[in-house]
Amino acid sequence: MLHIGNERVPDCSGLNRRSFLQAGAAGIGGLTLPGLMELQAYGAVDYSKAKIRNCITIFLVGSPGHLDTFDMKPEAPEDIRGRFKPIQSNVEGADICEHFPMLAQRMDKIALIRSLHHKTGTAHSNGSRWMMTGKDAIGDNQQPHVGSVVSRVFGPNSNLPPSIILPGKIGNTGGPSINGQEARYLGSGYEPFFLGSDPGRSDFKVANLTPAQGQTNFRISARKNLLQQVDDLQRRTETNSTLERDTAYARAFNLLTSSEAKSAFDLNQEEDKLRDRYGRNTLGQSCLMARRLVERGTRYVTINHFDTVFNIACWDMHSNGGSLNNTYKDYEYMLCPQLDQAFTGLIDDLEDRGLLEETVVAVLSEFGRTPKINGSGGRDHYPPAWSNFLCGGSIKGGQVIGSTDRIGAAPHDRPITPPQVIASIYKGMGIDLETTMMPGPGSRPIRLIDAEPIPELFS
Amino acid sequence: MDQVFEGTPAADISLDGRRVTRGDVTNDWGSKIQWVVKKDDKVVATVAARAEASYEHPDETPGKYEIVLQQFKYVNFKKDGKGPDSNYTESKFVDISVPVSYSI
Repeated sequence: MLHIGNERVPDCSGLNRRSFLQAGAAGIGGLTLPGLMELQAYGAVDYSKAKIRNCITIFLVGSPGHLDTFDMKPEAPEDIRGRFKPIQSNVEGADICEHFPMLAQRMDKIALIRSLHHKTGTAHSNGSRWMMTGKDAIGDNQQPHVGSVVSRVFGPNSNLPPSIILPGKIGNTGGPSINGQEARYLGSGYEPFFLGSDPGRSDFKVANLTPAQGQTNFRISARKNLLQQVDDLQRRTETNSTLERDTAYARAFNLLTSSEAKSAFDLNQEEDKLRDRYGRNTLGQSCLMARRLVERGTRYVTINHFDTVFNIACWDMHSNGGSLNNTYKDYEYMLCPQLDQAFTGLIDDLEDRGLLEETVVAVLSEFGRTPKINGSGGRDHYPPAWSNFLCGGSIKGGQVIGSTDRIGAAPHDRPITPPQVIASIYKGMGIDLETTMMPGPGSRPIRLIDAEPIPELFS
Repeated sequence: MDQVFEGTPAADISLDGRRVTRGDVTNDWGSKIQWVVKKDDKVVATVAARAEASYEHPDETPGKYEIVLQQFKYVNFKKDGKGPDSNYTESKFVDISVPVSYSI
């Protein structure tokens, strides 16, 4: 048996995990791993029997200071504790920054992890790779985005892409632009779909869904038919290698021609009051779009709160007077209120629609910020300690996992690493990590993640 | 992509004695909203207005009080210096309600 999420789903050969491994390595009865995946792609697996759940991640590019947001130390010296004050939440011991008043009233739904850390350098992209892939890799060993893994293992659920990144890809953050947002060795058929446009703008259009001037649906379909004929010819000489390209083309055409897809991206179909509840800004409207997408079959949505750290107000609070001049005022006036409103709008809306229990929502970042305020009144990059949080799916809310020392410099207890968070997201989505495999480089079956989920999240 | 705040946020506010209450903000940019209290034309208090929809200014000394709801309008992140006390040069708080007033 294969497992799709938590469900045991029959396949054509009745394989168990061991034989599945063997199939990937040597093949059984001619059924290789690519063959199995091809069967899935062609509908041999009954997805209707699978209880696959969704995930929406909000990635706070630049990274908020943990001491200014979710791990406050009001008893610490002034140059450590910063300018903001904690407020009591609806969960004892889970006080958070005063500028998250709505989030504070929903901490009973949230699992707050205060002991995250990694040891692979202070560049933004190091942290991005950890949190986007669950692995750290450089050079030729780049790892696929979690959304691509979910796409590869579970396939599409509708005409919409299974993994979408809103509103755009992370670009220049000062270091190598390798942020873990590609499918890599999984192949182009499993690349996330990048929206590439700001849903908070009144002239918003999905760049990749807007046909070139003069193109009609008829002409698009005619091109598709022609391409299919070429593909059929090619398939007679190539076998397995065409599947991946077929998948990519099919998804592109589905997107271009599907009214369902176009409707999913049309926020004007939502009531103004609900759009206001999320906040009329890039993050808020991206969160609303994420809800529409998972409602219609997208499995994994990544929302990047900003695509760079330079010359914009973002979480990268160096306060340096130059291109990184983010300060406490940016946090107080814009960033914290936006996150407060958009995140709580999202989980309230998901809950109202009965979707929260089947959708993990994770708020992630690259690292924390230095415990001691720098000479300019800001804080710099700090991977040894930070806080992130999850809710929804099978995540147990109303708890704080781990803690840091008295100045937030290092985990004090229960240190947690990024791969454990990603493993928890998979488990929270209903994926059994013991039985669900993915093709590794060269199609060798491998575990989705080399870590175990955080058990407290599910107890 | 930097953010662009479009449209015009607005909220109705009403006064009952010294207590001012706001309705929902339409076209809400999602940035900070605050009550600004003036006494005899001088700003005497700015109070966060997101968590609670109403506010009663505690000062009961005689004078004319005026209260308005404001929201932060982000234009860009430019400031007049570095450090937490630097000020925005173009982004600013703007009124999103008509003011209400009372006298003591």
